[in-house]
Amino acid sequence: MANHHIPYALLHGMNVPTSFINQEGSAFDFGELEEAIVLQGAKANLLTGRTAATLEMFPSWPMRYQQTPGSSKSGGESTDSGSALNTISSKTENQFEPDFPISKKASSSYHQAFDQQNLQLQQQQQQEMASDPSRTGTSLNQSAPIVKPLQEKKRASTSEKQLDAKTLRRLAQNKEAAKKSRLRKKAYVQQLESSRIKLTQLEQELQRARSQGLLLGSSGGGVGNISSGAVICDMEYARWLEDDERHMSELRTGLHSNLSDTDLRLMVNTYLSHYDEIFRLKGMAAKFDVFHLLTGMWTSPAERCFLWMGGFRPSELIKILISQLDPLTEQQLMGICSLQHSSQQAEEALSQGLEQLQQSLIDTVAGGPAIDGMQQMAIALSKLANLEGFVRQADNLRQQTLHQLPRILTVRQAARCFLVIGEYYGRLRALSSLWASRPRGRLMSDEQPCQTTTELQMVQPSQSHFSHF
Amino acid sequence: MHYQGDYYWGYYMPTRSIGSDPMERVVKLASEKAVVIFSLSSCCMCHAVKRLFCGMGVNPTVYELDQDPRGKDLETALMRLLGNSQPLPVVFIGGKLIGAMDRVMASHINGTLVPLLKEAGALWL
Repeated sequence: MANHHIPYALLHGMNVPTSFINQEGSAFDFGELEEAIVLQGAKANLLTGRTAATLEMFPSWPMRYQQTPGSSKSGGESTDSGSALNTISSKTENQFEPDFPISKKASSSYHQAFDQQNLQLQQQQQQEMASDPSRTGTSLNQSAPIVKPLQEKKRASTSEKQLDAKTLRRLAQNKEAAKKSRLRKKAYVQQLESSRIKLTQLEQELQRARSQGLLLGSSGGGVGNISSGAVICDMEYARWLEDDERHMSELRTGLHSNLSDTDLRLMVNTYLSHYDEIFRLKGMAAKFDVFHLLTGMWTSPAERCFLWMGGFRPSELIKILISQLDPLTEQQLMGICSLQHSSQQAEEALSQGLEQLQQSLIDTVAGGPAIDGMQQMAIALSKLANLEGFVRQADNLRQQTLHQLPRILTVRQAARCFLVIGEYYGRLRALSSLWASRPRGRLMSDEQPCQTTTELQMVQPSQSHFSHF
Repeated sequence: MHYQGDYYWGYYMPTRSIGSDPMERVVKLASEKAVVIFSLSSCCMCHAVKRLFCGMGVNPTVYELDQDPRGKDLETALMRLLGNSQPLPVVFIGGKLIGAMDRVMASHINGTLVPLLKEAGALWL
């Protein structure tokens, strides 16, 4: 046992450079082993190249080679070596663990590679030993033992010894790896916890900033409190606008490529369904945040300016279309004008209904000294609930108007209509962007908040919260 | 506009003597005049629908159910008829049920409302 600090080579009279001799501690075995293997010859190159690297990474390897030479001679003594290995293993394991950067998987694969290589070497050595009895028994015995410990482990008479050493090695590695894994997990969990706390803090900050009107964001000047319903509405609308672009280009190519009427009708119907989709979205948005729709915060500023009941005014749209649809038959012209007229009447009725609602609300909120505050608010709230109904009816009117167009016009004309509408609102959106980014003069300081708002809006993707419906 | 509700408070109460079943009353009232609107005086959408017909030059007959002592029953009957928890306003033309505001507007846009009105004699020209 005491011998295990003395290099094998020296013990057995091999010619070894003194520089390799006895660097105490775990490291010394690398160089020694390497040297010894080189001296052996066969497959040494193969081993050296690889094992040098692997060995350097695994301080635990040397333990194996601290066995006494005597252990190679008899099965009985291998027990000792086994137990020696045991103690050494446990010692070094504790020693090396903290410095070990290699993951369990890597280490085991390295070990496997080393095992395989050693197996090959051992087999070859066995053959050499067997086939060349003329060789000095001692020298062979001397050289062989270098890898003998490993070889011996595999060929030990009792499989238990073999298992012991191997199992011990595996156990040691597993223990190491498990500990590292636990440490990593702990670090990860800690990171998660701190991230969670940070996230909560950020949310609180954001909420505070919003309530103070510091963040203008997409809700326009003044107090920027955007509800989640509004956010979703804007997001869905942006997506709808992307679809709109697609549909429009399809229509354009369809019209220019002179598609058959049947195909064109299919396109027109698809476009109508596309419109139905936005009205459906608006219907849902009205439930969550009717003010977002009514104030036009989901649209571009230019559209917002001329908004009627949360969207476009159908009669205005028809007026635009009449001017764009040149050759109209008498019947078609009558149909379109009649449509415009009906739409105007319906718009008027709804506007008057909304006016009455407003008046009623004013009366409630203005109230009088005799009215109980809580009750007043309750009544006002129930009146506000009617707003959703008006927005829904307005959208219904818009939807009906659009659906009526293909009934009055030919397919080509209807397709042209939809193109005209899409392009018109696209231009309005572009106008809003241009207006916002126009060079400004001395008045800049006065207009700062509004500009920041619009600029913020412009900075966001151009399709967000721009509408034409 | 004729507000039939007044009749219930006055001397002349012809409708009271007729069957107490609310649905029967609804049908009867609806068929008496060319354009019949069941409404609530406080409701703004009801106001809108009234304005629509007036704007078209039609003279609808309006029953304000919140001012009718048996209005609640009529409202319930209409709820069952429409399958809707908020049945008012509801419009009948020529005794036929047209529906609520959305149906009225849809029929106006698609051009079916005016012919119906002319047929019922509520519109000339």
